[in-house]
Amino acid sequence: MFSEQAAPTAQGLLAPPSAEPPTFPRVPVSGYLDCSQPFQLGERSFSRQYAHIYAVRLAGMRPGLERRARSRWGNDIVLRKLSELQAGEKCCVVGTLFKAMQLQPSILQEISEEHNLVPQPPLPKYIQPSDELILEDELQRIKLEGAIDVQRLVTGTILAVYGSEQDDGRFLVEDHCFASLPPPLPWKGPSSDRFVLLASGLGLGSVSGEALLSTQLLVDVVTGQLGAEGEQSCAAHITRVILAGNLLSQNTQSRDTINKAKYLTKKTQAASVEAVKMLDEILLQLCTSVPVDVMPGEFDPTNYTLPQQPLHRCMLPLASAYTTLHLVTNPYQANLDGVRFLGTSGQNISDIFKYSSMDDYLEILEWTLQAGHISPTAPDTLGCYPFYKSDPFILTECPHVYFCGNAPHFQSKLLQGKEGQRVLLVTVPDFSATQTACLVNLRDLTCQPITFSGFGADSED
Amino acid sequence: MEQPRRITDSFPRRLRRRAAGRPPGRLKDKKDKKEKDKDQEKAQVKVRDCSRSPSQPPPDPALLEMLRRFDLSLEYGPCTGITRLQRWERAQELGLSPPDPIRDALLEHRDNPDVTYRWVWGGM
Repeated sequence: MFSEQAAPTAQGLLAPPSAEPPTFPRVPVSGYLDCSQPFQLGERSFSRQYAHIYAVRLAGMRPGLERRARSRWGNDIVLRKLSELQAGEKCCVVGTLFKAMQLQPSILQEISEEHNLVPQPPLPKYIQPSDELILEDELQRIKLEGAIDVQRLVTGTILAVYGSEQDDGRFLVEDHCFASLPPPLPWKGPSSDRFVLLASGLGLGSVSGEALLSTQLLVDVVTGQLGAEGEQSCAAHITRVILAGNLLSQNTQSRDTINKAKYLTKKTQAASVEAVKMLDEILLQLCTSVPVDVMPGEFDPTNYTLPQQPLHRCMLPLASAYTTLHLVTNPYQANLDGVRFLGTSGQNISDIFKYSSMDDYLEILEWTLQAGHISPTAPDTLGCYPFYKSDPFILTECPHVYFCGNAPHFQSKLLQGKEGQRVLLVTVPDFSATQTACLVNLRDLTCQPITFSGFGADSED
Repeated sequence: MEQPRRITDSFPRRLRRRAAGRPPGRLKDKKDKKEKDKDQEKAQVKVRDCSRSPSQPPPDPALLEMLRRFDLSLEYGPCTGITRLQRWERAQELGLSPPDPIRDALLEHRDNPDVTYRWVWGGM
């Protein structure tokens, strides 16, 4: 796509320079609307418990699930709450899932002195065959068994189960359903080729500087300083760059200085200071040429709980002088040229990966869309702000592009829904590991990876 | 040598008021807890005297009983950590149709902490 456009018009770098150098004006920004107001927190109060967010999640998703249940199992099914269940009667119950996992890290077990246990080391997956699923609604809970995949589901999902209560007090599930894709948004996309570059995991401040060359190549391609006239004219069609989290590397998070004595660490600077200065210089180069949306990630200097608030502009003094720099929340939702983008920096997907048998990031991304919730495991295993009024992670409208950052590989899929939804699912790979970014074409919702790498001593080409 | 540039030159310092009765950094001190409670009560008493007009009568026990029943009714969700008015408005938005007299009573006695208070456990 990108390179096919470039090839026919390529004059090649071996031609003599033309008398008058051509200029390629960048495609102007026509429609940008930031829709992430639900993720922006004003005054934060942590004096609340998390029962509110679960209650609001269930109350908010219950009507949609009841409609789905009726359309799937017939209009005449009986919808019951757990307190009204009768043994042996086939009915449908809507509730929140809880998965009781033996290996789930528990703070109570860690601080319990009687056990004298060393805290459990972090594992890639915490699932075990002995895990159990329990359905909870506002008042009661019941164990589930039957036609339901215990390993695949995670805590916090709202679903409807159809079955009957057994004599031993468990609920035998015959079928279950999720909220399914939310209602579609009208399509007002552009008629000509417009690209959005998605990159994540720049990983600045890491010990090895190998990814720096690739980052500089990325900046040069976007700003049109790389390649012949063909590539430059293609780069002029890039209307926006979205950096989806983990701009700093995990190395900047080292906590050695906390354990050392103060007199040893007085002169040392936090590793993130140098990394943020580097980030500022890179963003300065990008912002002079193209609008940039910067989302914070797991290792970035902002709050830990979801939704992560935008990075403060005082950390980026050079780049924040430009209005093309937008510091946005994680998760991020915006209308770009009539196309609705929704995405996160990947913490929600990697958390579900740890507690579910699903291995493929794209599969998990599609599953969260089917379940109607961006991050069901928050607040159980993923930090979350204690919302009380409404759960902003519930998907009420179907986005056109749904992405997650910091995935191990690049994957993309165009999903067609039953009500006419068209969603492009993109897993944006970690740039510091794969040197790959994604180009999304807004006209026809296709996605193409673009890899930047230098030829090192150990390359095989 | 010129003055070193400070961040407060470009971003002016703004004093932010903390919530009334919550001095910073004293939450874990059990010894001072009783004194803190006394301080809180004093601060609350001062606020109460200033904002409540002397002519307003104290709310009658039947009203307080109705509000307590609203707190304990399970269909409107958990009641801890949020004011009664916030809980009423949330129930309204979720379509649970909470009774209107409660909202009128809450707005009428807005200044009285007994009426509007967040139901907290152990001074959370």
